Amino acid sequence: MLSVTGVSKLFPGVKALSGVDFTARAGEVHALVGENGAGKSTLIKVLTGVYQPDAGEIVHDGTPVRFTTPLQAQQAGISTIYQEVNLVPLMSVARNLLLGREPRNRLGLIDFRRMNRQAQEALHGLGIRVDVSRPLRELGVGAQQMVALARAVAIDARVVIMDEPTSSLEPREVRTLFDVIGMLRERGIAVVYVSHRMDELYEICDAVTVLRDGRVVHTGRLADLERLRLVSLMLGREIGEVRSEGLTKFSGSHRAAAEPVLQAEGLTIRHQLRDVSLTIRPGEVVGLGGLLGSGRSETAKAIAGALPTDAGRVSVGGVPVRAGSTPAAIRAGISLLPEDRKAEGISPGLSVRENIALAALPRLSRFGLVDNARVDRIVDTFVKRLRIKSAGPHQKVGELSGGNQQKVLLARWLALHPKVLLLDEPTRGIDVGAKAEVQALIDELADDGLAVLLISSDTEELIEGSDRIVVLKDGAVVDELTGDAVTEDALMRAIATEPSTSSTSSTSSTPSASPQSAESVGSTHD
Amino acid sequence: MKPIASPRRTTVRALLATGLLTGLALTGCTKSEDSSDDKATGQQADAGQEVSSPGADAGPACTLETYGGEKLDLKNATVGFSQSEKEANPFRIAETASIRAEAKKRGIKLLTANAQSQFSKQISDVQDLIAKGADVLVVAPLNSDGWEPVLRTAAAKHIPIVTVDRKINAEPCKDYVSFIGSDFVEQGKRAADQMIEATGGKGEIAILLGAAGNNVTTERTKGFVDQIKAEAPGLEVVFQQTGEFAREKGQSVTENLIQSKPGIKGIYAENDEMGLGAVNALKGAGKKPGDVKIVTIDGTRNAVQGIVDGWISGVIESNPRFGPLAFQTLDAFTKGEEVAQDIVIKDSAYTGANAESDLGKAY
Amino acid sequence: MTSLTLTRGQVDRERLLRLLQEYGVYAGVVVLLVFNFVFTSNFVSTENFRTQAVQVAPVLVVALGMALAIGTEGVDLAVGSVMALSTSLLSLYLGYGPWTATLMAVAGGIAVGLANGSLIAFLGVQPIVATLALMVAARGLALVLLPQLEDVRDPGMASLGSGDVLGVPYLVLIAAALALLVAFVVRRTTFGRQLLAIGDSRPAARLAGLPVRRVLVVVYACSGALAAIAGVLATARLTASDPTSLGTLMELSAITAVVVGGTPLSGGRIRIGGTVAGAVLIQLLTTTLIKHDLPPSWTQMAQAVVIVAAVYAARERGKR
Repeated sequence: MLSVTGVSKLFPGVKALSGVDFTARAGEVHALVGENGAGKSTLIKVLTGVYQPDAGEIVHDGTPVRFTTPLQAQQAGISTIYQEVNLVPLMSVARNLLLGREPRNRLGLIDFRRMNRQAQEALHGLGIRVDVSRPLRELGVGAQQMVALARAVAIDARVVIMDEPTSSLEPREVRTLFDVIGMLRERGIAVVYVSHRMDELYEICDAVTVLRDGRVVHTGRLADLERLRLVSLMLGREIGEVRSEGLTKFSGSHRAAAEPVLQAEGLTIRHQLRDVSLTIRPGEVVGLGGLLGSGRSETAKAIAGALPTDAGRVSVGGVPVRAGSTPAAIRAGISLLPEDRKAEGISPGLSVRENIALAALPRLSRFGLVDNARVDRIVDTFVKRLRIKSAGPHQKVGELSGGNQQKVLLARWLALHPKVLLLDEPTRGIDVGAKAEVQALIDELADDGLAVLLISSDTEELIEGSDRIVVLKDGAVVDELTGDAVTEDALMRAIATEPSTSSTSSTSSTPSASPQSAESVGSTHD
Repeated sequence: MKPIASPRRTTVRALLATGLLTGLALTGCTKSEDSSDDKATGQQADAGQEVSSPGADAGPACTLETYGGEKLDLKNATVGFSQSEKEANPFRIAETASIRAEAKKRGIKLLTANAQSQFSKQISDVQDLIAKGADVLVVAPLNSDGWEPVLRTAAAKHIPIVTVDRKINAEPCKDYVSFIGSDFVEQGKRAADQMIEATGGKGEIAILLGAAGNNVTTERTKGFVDQIKAEAPGLEVVFQQTGEFAREKGQSVTENLIQSKPGIKGIYAENDEMGLGAVNALKGAGKKPGDVKIVTIDGTRNAVQGIVDGWISGVIESNPRFGPLAFQTLDAFTKGEEVAQDIVIKDSAYTGANAESDLGKAY
Repeated sequence: MTSLTLTRGQVDRERLLRLLQEYGVYAGVVVLLVFNFVFTSNFVSTENFRTQAVQVAPVLVVALGMALAIGTEGVDLAVGSVMALSTSLLSLYLGYGPWTATLMAVAGGIAVGLANGSLIAFLGVQPIVATLALMVAARGLALVLLPQLEDVRDPGMASLGSGDVLGVPYLVLIAAALALLVAFVVRRTTFGRQLLAIGDSRPAARLAGLPVRRVLVVVYACSGALAAIAGVLATARLTASDPTSLGTLMELSAITAVVVGGTPLSGGRIRIGGTVAGAVLIQLLTTTLIKHDLPPSWTQMAQAVVIVAAVYAARERGKR
């Protein structure tokens, strides 16, 4: 269906792709895997016309093609769902869904009623019930992703490229997604599937291509490839090494002191949080469990002063922290690693050095003047300690891989010597190697006596990383798992018990996503 | 907020104004005109009025019969005056003050409006004046075009309109009665005469143009250039750049001029402000008064003082005091007498000979 | 083989493009200088360089403040009106001596800047809207305080406008000192670094605990102060206070200087050297056309071309 041969792409100083061959066949789900920086994103951008290859050719439907714009690729039937949702946040859900294909009335103007109806139908088919006339940005990340998916499916696509589609989806939404992928396969559509989650790959994909350092290191049927072999191919390490280190880097439980350093009581934000209380002791990793939209990120942000609360108190070491003020929380020793790394975490245009020193600047200054020597020392220390890979301290952070960006952010906070570290999805969208490093680092920090709050959609990570898990549901604490009870089973049960009575969250309704209804979505705009 | 009284009180007000910055500024705008008028009226009284018409029988005339409408006594009428620009330059200040003073002198009720350089506002201003019961109108138009809607309203009510200082593109004695104003081409010509006299008719000269796309600029340029060509072939215009009628621009452009063309003999500035900017530039370059002859148009006090000081050779007046002539025209017209459709006012001139004695007449 | 050469060509082209974006403004200045050296009579003279430097000084000072605002992904449209307000205040207070008058003028500029900054930082008004409002308000206030042009006869002011030290005019010295000061602030102070972080990513800066509001308010206050200083300098040069026309369209010249100098409108980066060169470039462009007595409309078109080129370059840069 869509294939490339001998594709190379150069960026100043980096060879992102060199001589890559890749074929997506009709009716096949093809996994594209590799560590961050392996060249997956670049390859996808070449396939979709965002980048032009410096060498090699693209063959689509048997004829050589040259996409100079994403639009051309789209018109040729190649749809993409990017890792970060790539829609227009201020436009309504319906507008986003039908962008460029809006139904017109006789005057050639947009027929809003028909547009909203079509959008509603398309989303229902995927099991999403939202008000399609609301701006997209009011939806959660997961729901936004489903809108992006619905959009790709709705376009008469021949090839669908999914870049980390499940990274912000609920397990239920993942099921819906897989149903839709199955349906796409049956209809003879070629699916290119990029993900870091191995279970998913083995469940849904037929073929696999492994990239490393811009080259193809393996391609073939996925069923013939052992999991550990796949990991070793991606990492470029020997199997023994990988096996001995396990799949996550957590060592297990930590010894925690008796007195909690962080105490949050009765945190309440209208429509988002209800009376959430939790404590963390020094040296303890407390997990925050729950589904998407259960209020995990909001809890972390409320503690860090980044969201104004309607009620509740936060204190560190017994000293109350002024609510709704990030600087006050930081002064008290609370640091938050935000979920949305790109938008809220890094300053992409600033250098590695500036990013690391950013929060600590006042402490690294005298009379308002930055002490460059001290900054250099701090930066040097953390670049070494966290093994941040960059062209140098003056490279822009936006040019680094996701894992290194995350390390830079961690360095920014660690430079402040915080007492409490709130980590919201610290390993999302970063490659396997960096993930292991970050996990090991969290362990290490806890051992050093830091109080850690861990939020992760990766259940395995949450279970293995946490000493204790506070389970949230619809903005309230429903359970707390301690000691031996910190298991996947217990977590699922805690989330599953007591069905919610109100469906305030936009993604909380669960209609069955039968293939038929999904089919109707696809056929709506044929 | 009426600033500019005694220095101390002004200071207090200025302080207040600085503190209340935002809130004051908008309301402040409108009030400023009143205060500036007060000031200008005082000035005006010193200067006296001198308006002369070159005879009403020069061109086609207009009567109440051909225009339509009924006789009325101007004394009991309400006169509406629509000013085009904010009274922030001497010309506009003197113009409005002159209209006000004449109305006061004749004891006529006057309604005024200022369009603040927005043409759409001027249209609604005029409509407002009509709605408020103006029987006759004096308009200082911002633009020449776009007057149809207003003229239709006025024509329906047979309201006589006199335009001052700028002409509008419409049919005289049908859409409006008369235009009273200066002949800008003539001003340019007379400036050329002065330049020829000052330079002896030989050498390179420069022109500081007014704002681009303005009829005043084109006409003052045309009159000057044509006259130079006709009368003094020895004078060569080697430089024409816009100073946008502003002193700062006049200064910047002249600074460049005197460096790239050190042999320049004369500078013709199409208004006084640019001419004063040119004086600044000459001073800055270490020139002596009279090294470069400057001729300007307008007749503001500063420029006439420039003649006294020796920096400026001549100033052609562009008379802003339309009050007496406008009221005289309207009075005659409403009585049923014949008035000219184009009334060109005679502008005086200031030279070394009369500058000192006539300084008081400058506005 | 072919692919290899193509690749090399691509890299060269990209490097060339980047070089142009980084140093294009300096190249432009050099090109104009060389052109004038060759084709403009009497261009090479101390008098002329002095004139050009003096004329560019107020624009540069305003552009420095504008660069700070643009560095935060904002803009300050009120600068021209602040110059007018400054000249009005200066004229009003000149009776108390030039120093007091200057102080009051700068205080007025800071007041406008504080109003701008407060609207932007605390009420969340878009910079373009907030400063547009103050642009109208400050000009209005300037005309309330001083309804018409007034001559400045203070000898102190006159010497500020035309005096020099060892041949370097005061105006140029002041502008150069301010450029150095602003460059130092941007590079070396906590405030400068925080300002850039805010411009690069507002949400990230907020979550990193930076005093976002305070920095924004200070930025616009600085811009106001610099514009007011520019107003004082322009008044001294003109030896008159002309609140009607002083500073009109100054915001455009300043934005052009900043953008042409390579500071992206998307914030996060400030190039002071580029801003200086940008201001000089515009000045030379205008001067060249004037000295060759080309039609004034050409000047405007040439400026338009430069702005379009700069914005195009900025767009290219933004894509990276």
